Amino acid sequence: MKCEEIGELLPDYLQGSLKAEQDNLVEQHIAECGDCREEVAIWKKLSLLPVEQPSAGSRERFEAMLRAYQTGRNDKVTGVERSKRGSVWNWLHSPVGAVAWSAALLVIGIFAGNYFGNRTATRSNSGQDEIAAMHTELANMKQMVVLSMLQQQSASERLQAVSYSRREDQLDPQVMSALVHTLRYDGSVDVRLAALDALSRHGAQPQVHKGVVDALQEQQSPLVQVALIDLMLEWRDPDAAQRLRNFVQTPNLNPTVKQRADWALSKLN
Amino acid sequence: MKEQERGETENDQAMKLAPDEDLMLEVRNGAGETLGVLFDRYHAPLFSFYAKLTGDRTLSDDLVQEVFLRILKYRQSYEPGTPFRAWIYQIARNARVDHYRKTPRHITFEPEMVAPVMPKDSAQQSEETELLHRALMQMPEEKREILVLSRFQELRYDEIARLLGCELGTVKTRIHRAIQELRQNFKQLERGLAPREAGPAVVKNIPPRRFGNEV
Repeated sequence: MKCEEIGELLPDYLQGSLKAEQDNLVEQHIAECGDCREEVAIWKKLSLLPVEQPSAGSRERFEAMLRAYQTGRNDKVTGVERSKRGSVWNWLHSPVGAVAWSAALLVIGIFAGNYFGNRTATRSNSGQDEIAAMHTELANMKQMVVLSMLQQQSASERLQAVSYSRREDQLDPQVMSALVHTLRYDGSVDVRLAALDALSRHGAQPQVHKGVVDALQEQQSPLVQVALIDLMLEWRDPDAAQRLRNFVQTPNLNPTVKQRADWALSKLN
Repeated sequence: MKEQERGETENDQAMKLAPDEDLMLEVRNGAGETLGVLFDRYHAPLFSFYAKLTGDRTLSDDLVQEVFLRILKYRQSYEPGTPFRAWIYQIARNARVDHYRKTPRHITFEPEMVAPVMPKDSAQQSEETELLHRALMQMPEEKREILVLSRFQELRYDEIARLLGCELGTVKTRIHRAIQELRQNFKQLERGLAPREAGPAVVKNIPPRRFGNEV
């Protein structure tokens, strides 16, 4: 028998669905024909390949999808009512909205707790501890708001995030590094300037200090460069003189910026 | 309370034994949670199907989720009596084609490639497995798909014919050709000769989406 004829039988042979007679024909052929034998061999070898396993979170993701889908279906019934307050509702469902909403609830909780706590005059230590814990949690919430808003597409929202962060006396390290990142890489000059302003109050933190000082070399905007030079002068950074001397060597430096840097150098010396 | 719990477990067991088609009819009639049983049965095979086709784990995970979302969305289009396995693979193929329509390969992010896990038997065997994996991945997706469906997903030829919308004979011919090509690739790799790259051709080789029975 020719290879072509065997080739027609081969797929069924491989799935074991040939009648005994034809099965024997194929067996005889592959005993003699190296090419066809190799074809059978490579098919069998495919079983050596590992079976890829889905990610561990696959089932949870599916369940979340299922829940979301079912909630969505139930909501369609009350959809008309919702559409009237669509924008607020959407905002509350956005990540920022969700965090802000939780923060608001927490504030209400704390005030209510304080109010009723005072009224019944049972301000035990444990009650105060609880309030302290709530305050901490509230601070965390605010930080989460800042962090999630810094990720937003619109520059005005990022600007708002930076100004929120300014209200806090103590900054979470995560927020600090997010602000430093904003200072270095944000696409908007306004947002970068605001971030610098917010960070200027935290110069005592080594992480902030370094981030700000390092940012000088990367900045392209003259406005931000001037603000950075001023801040380095204000902080009396020990490396400031050396860094500024390097900085003024930068080719094509904006004349105003160079002037400012020279002026700062003269003050530092 | 206890009565109820026992009732639920019995029900769960019954569900676990029920044929796919019965479960899908329940889903169709509104019992979305029953889809979980079908998910347990099919998500691993579907993942492996996508992983072998695309070589991209993240994408494969996403596509598996997409398949189950589509089942929910289009559950009304499931006709009683349709073999569920054929139906779900039809959805799976369409989901992949639609994905590549929306996101042509060249603009996707660097895929997280599936690294074959090596069996630890012997160095020689692991090298062979590696070469085999490469030989398979070098094939155009259309040819690879038919091999994956028959060899790894263990679909019968008549199921594949129905799925691809072609004759049974055509499926057999195409499988034989695919085996021949795989063997050629493998031999060339063994000799240290890289066969022609399948790279940019891959997109072109996605089979046209079948119309009719569309989900």
